[in-house]
Amino acid sequence: MMSVITNNNIKSTVALAALQNVMDPEIGLNIVDLGLIYQLDFDESEKKIYCSMTLTTQFCPMGESITNAVKENLKRSFPEYKAEIDLTFDPPWSHEMISEEGREFLNKR
Amino acid sequence: MFSTTGNTETIKTTSWKVVLPFYAYAALSFLIANILLLLSANDITSHYFLPHTLAITHIMALGWGTMMILGASHQLVPVLIEGKLYSNKLAYASFILSAIGIPLLVYGFYVFDMGLHTQCGGILIILAITAYLINLAASMVKGKQENVHAFFIFTAALWLLATAIVGLLLLCNFTEPLLPKGSLNYLAIHAHIGIIGWFLLLVMGVGSRLIPMFLISKYNNTRQLWWIYGLINGGLLAFVCIFLYTDSRLLFSMPLLAVASAIVLFGNFCFKSYQQRIRKKVDEQMKVSLLSVLMMLLPVIFLVIIIILLILSSKENVNLIITYGFIIFFGWITAIILGMTFKTLPFIVWNKVYHHLAGKGKTPNPKDLFSNRVFKWMCIFYVLGFVLFTTGILFYSTIVLQSAAALLVLTSLLYNWNVIKLLLHKPVSL
Repeated sequence: MMSVITNNNIKSTVALAALQNVMDPEIGLNIVDLGLIYQLDFDESEKKIYCSMTLTTQFCPMGESITNAVKENLKRSFPEYKAEIDLTFDPPWSHEMISEEGREFLNKR
Repeated sequence: MFSTTGNTETIKTTSWKVVLPFYAYAALSFLIANILLLLSANDITSHYFLPHTLAITHIMALGWGTMMILGASHQLVPVLIEGKLYSNKLAYASFILSAIGIPLLVYGFYVFDMGLHTQCGGILIILAITAYLINLAASMVKGKQENVHAFFIFTAALWLLATAIVGLLLLCNFTEPLLPKGSLNYLAIHAHIGIIGWFLLLVMGVGSRLIPMFLISKYNNTRQLWWIYGLINGGLLAFVCIFLYTDSRLLFSMPLLAVASAIVLFGNFCFKSYQQRIRKKVDEQMKVSLLSVLMMLLPVIFLVIIIILLILSSKENVNLIITYGFIIFFGWITAIILGMTFKTLPFIVWNKVYHHLAGKGKTPNPKDLFSNRVFKWMCIFYVLGFVLFTTGILFYSTIVLQSAAALLVLTSLLYNWNVIKLLLHKPVSL
């Protein structure tokens, strides 16, 4: 799996497992293995999750659906937390960000 | 509370309300063009400058090819130029003006009346293209980055405007002599700036972005794309100058060589993208789109033969010219649209129907919103119909032409069936 920067390994494992349910509908691969999630930080004092993520391309027609699905999945896994999604294109997504599991999946399909 | 910060503008895509009317209009035009082809199959081989042939050509070029490209480009321009579409209102204006203008123009050709209503059709189409150009230019100015794909699209739109202006001039020349010679003498300029300047340049600009994107390819070669851009535009400008200012047919080999080289380079670009793809399985829609890249070479081969025959004997071979036109509009352009419709439309419809349900439960995949079985049958009928019709023109066989046209009508019916299925899709929970 692609490494995601985090300040809480245990909670980020739970969050990433939840985000593996979010699929890129064109590619058929989940957004975690696709490498769209850059950073997941947990602020325990303010009960906030900061999720820094990208899309495969700017103005991707499915962009809003994907970010909505990220919000919904984080909401389900951490109902007591507030979440902020920071959509960034710095660095832009590239195929090198796809995880080994993702590459294997795309090789088979 | 959940919020999104950062580049939030980049997730706002063009509204489906802008895009879907273009798709619906194009699908209906494709059906009408094929029905007219079936009805005119007997006299299609007589000459290319006949009322029904002109009407069919313009439904295919404007109603089918251009409307589909305009619709898809309103959706894809933000991806290509990495900026938001400037105005939805201009997009609606572009649709309404062309939706009224095209039937006026086509009807005029069908009954061979080049009078006021046909000319009004032409003017409306020019206004529609102008609205599209303004929208495109303003979107590019507002966009963050200049890139090679944006140059392809914008230049292609300029060529489209030039094609329409020349077309209107030729139309008016029928009733009021405006040009030194008859309109038929200038037909080659009108046709080629449309085919090469608009369709070829645009398909290459969009294809060079979408093909590697859909294949998830590592390949990228911007320098090669600039070469293609230069060869196409240089070749086309040279063609126009040679046509207007010399009588030498041999000189036409220069622009032909430039455009053929650009096609070979683009074929090479697509092949390398295919070779270096990360996603191994290529779906049916991409296969059809890649096939259409190969089909770009067919018109070039025919054009080489036409020019050689023109140099050897001064008489033009009408059948070869009709075949040349047929393989461009019903071959290459149709193949790419048949493939790309079902790579783009399902996502637009999915966004329209399931956008608010994302992440809240299971929803169907975009590719499940149309019937892949119907798509496969459509492809079979299309390939058979296309090959048979081409054979029919070359060998003057009416029965072959009629059978092939019937297969093409079936193709367009199946295409429309899938498009209607998509457009009328209602939410289903899994």
